[in-house]
Amino acid sequence: MREQQLQDILRHMPAGVATLQGPELRYGFVNDAMQAVLGSPITEGQSVMEQPGIIPADLLDVMQQVYQRGQPYIAKAYCLPLADNNDGTTAPQRYYDVALEPVREGGSQVTGLLLFAMDVTGQEEARQRTHELAIETRRLDTRLRVLTETVPQITFTVDAAGTYEYVSPQWHYFTGQPTTADLNIIWPLLIHPDDRLRVLYQTEAARSAGVGWSYEYRLRRHDGQYRWMLSRALPELHAPDKAVFWHGALTEIHDQRELAEVLRRGEAELRFLADSIPELIWTATAEGFIDYYNKYSGEYSGLSGEELGPAGWISLLSPAEQAGAARRWIHSVATGESYEGLYRMRRHDGRYRWHIIRARQLTDARGLRWFGACTDVDDQHRLRQVLQTQYDELARTNRDLDTFVYTASHDLKQPLLNLRGLFDELRRTASFNDPQEEEIVVMVDDALYQLDLTLQDLAATVQDQRGLSAPAEPLDLRSVTEEVLLGLRTQVQESGAVLELDFEQVPTLTYGRANLRSILHNLLSNALKFAHPERTPHVLLRSTLADSGNPILIVQDNGRGMILPEEPAPVFQPFTRQHPQIGGAGVGMYLVQRIISSRGGHLEVASVIDEGTTFIIHWFDALNA
Amino acid sequence: MIHIIYISRAVRPLSDQDLQGLLAQCRRDNERNNVTGVLFYSHGNIAQLIEGEAETLNPLFEIISRDGRHSNVNKLISKPIGARSFPDWSMAFHPLEPNGFEALQGFLLPTHITPPPSSLTIADAMLLDLVKLAVFGVEPLAPKSI
Repeated sequence: MREQQLQDILRHMPAGVATLQGPELRYGFVNDAMQAVLGSPITEGQSVMEQPGIIPADLLDVMQQVYQRGQPYIAKAYCLPLADNNDGTTAPQRYYDVALEPVREGGSQVTGLLLFAMDVTGQEEARQRTHELAIETRRLDTRLRVLTETVPQITFTVDAAGTYEYVSPQWHYFTGQPTTADLNIIWPLLIHPDDRLRVLYQTEAARSAGVGWSYEYRLRRHDGQYRWMLSRALPELHAPDKAVFWHGALTEIHDQRELAEVLRRGEAELRFLADSIPELIWTATAEGFIDYYNKYSGEYSGLSGEELGPAGWISLLSPAEQAGAARRWIHSVATGESYEGLYRMRRHDGRYRWHIIRARQLTDARGLRWFGACTDVDDQHRLRQVLQTQYDELARTNRDLDTFVYTASHDLKQPLLNLRGLFDELRRTASFNDPQEEEIVVMVDDALYQLDLTLQDLAATVQDQRGLSAPAEPLDLRSVTEEVLLGLRTQVQESGAVLELDFEQVPTLTYGRANLRSILHNLLSNALKFAHPERTPHVLLRSTLADSGNPILIVQDNGRGMILPEEPAPVFQPFTRQHPQIGGAGVGMYLVQRIISSRGGHLEVASVIDEGTTFIIHWFDALNA
Repeated sequence: MIHIIYISRAVRPLSDQDLQGLLAQCRRDNERNNVTGVLFYSHGNIAQLIEGEAETLNPLFEIISRDGRHSNVNKLISKPIGARSFPDWSMAFHPLEPNGFEALQGFLLPTHITPPPSSLTIADAMLLDLVKLAVFGVEPLAPKSI
């Protein structure tokens, strides 16, 4: 009865229980749990040695040894391979505490073994996980240490009492203190005396409030120099409001601070400079909002920077100019184009003065900004206005004078004609009792002829000055020259002159037609008029390109030549005559020169007495005119 | 009567839903407080002109500047004005899905923003134009018609 009860208990035990009998270790009693462990069904009397099933050889070996020696043995967390699942997949490994107990039935002789197998897979896995975690923790710890000891910052840990618990080796490198130095005593002593009290107080305050800190102070370096450091620390909270440690880092910021100081100083100096200049100077943000006006802006406008505001400068301009100036500024801000304009700006006393407003964009590491200046050009502007008025007046007077000359020459023509008529009449009807009569008559005739020519030339001068603005058009040089020669055909025939025309290289010229005719007429008639009395006149006209690429015309004769004045500039003045013995008013070359220079060119002349004269007309001085 | 112009940055981009909520909230509050003006929004840039009585506007701006939805609030101007320049309060932005918005009271597509009214001084009108430029950028405001 009791045996039966015992068997029931053993059968339902969660651990595997089996008895193995005899040296062959034949299965006796095998409970359900053990059946499950062993997998394949076990029949009583089956020998483990012959049919080990899943039991590995080493366990079989141990079983035999325990049987022989009679000493119990427990294999902890022994891995038993489970029978493969039915579907062929490998079953997970399981771990058992396997206990082997020798059984002695009636005497000291071992007659069998009691086999216990307690499933400890859960515990074993947990243990392995713990092991892996420990390895991982060690790895992380190593990494953290390497990191904290290789970053340029000094890292530290302070406990709740304010005692330094850890400081990275960088502290020792920086301060030059031996590793044996007592941090809590030495550290405060290394802080710059001017900063020490503040730092100690701030640390204390942050610690008692349980919050982090961030402040800057000077710390003594190994070479005795004090360097600016940034100290930042955060609390490690073990309960919501219970900070146990503060972990922090010290960063050397000396160079940044120096740089910032230099920048601050530089900015202050620039601001001082801007404030000292008697011009309105301002800066604006990238969006075009003015954020700084110099002192003079306030003095000039009588308004503070606050009153002027980010766009207030517009309201200083004269009302009619405001809209245009605003549009232009918006355009500049949108496109980045520089701003420039001439506006009247109201002074504090209500007077408007002309200003040039200029602004340019500057892009640097600190972003984009506008820099502007308003320069007072009122005096210059007014002076320019006065000059303009005077210039206009002079131009008008000049025009009036031209008209006067023209009308006068015109008006004088009629009396001259009358005079000539009267003289002819007088010569026909009256007779003088004078042996020199013939001579005098010729002289009077000559004088009258001269007067007529002068009047004609005067009229022509004025007329041509009027014609200076005639529109330029492409002209065929050969046809214009032939037209002019047609008008001079009598002179050409009389002198028997040889004319050589070479317009091959530059056949056309864009010029005023009347002007070109006037120039050619003057040059050609001069060449004929001042021909050398001992040889046939030979005149060459050649149109070509100068070295500069601009068209030129060369007019060369073999005439009398002339003495050129020393000053090369204005060779020909009106009423100056090179050859007084030959008739002329002396306005011809003056006219030619005026036309050429008014069209942007110049006249060059070279001459040798008794050999000839060469005129070179540079039509245009500017390139590609 | 005063008006205030400020610009600011949204702390995170506002969705269509956020914008619709803001539009409804502001219209309701502004109508009650008799505040008129215009708000521009684009890609996190915010600018607003509000006009009303000083005793309403100053506290309103205090509340606006403390609103957690935006930061970097920069008050550009706050000054007395003779009369209102905006008949009501409206808000201009580009919704991702414009279909639902067209019908909303007080909503404006940025392309439909009218030039600053002539009742503003030229300086203030220019400021409003600069603010618009700062919010919407130089991009052609009109969407390309395809």
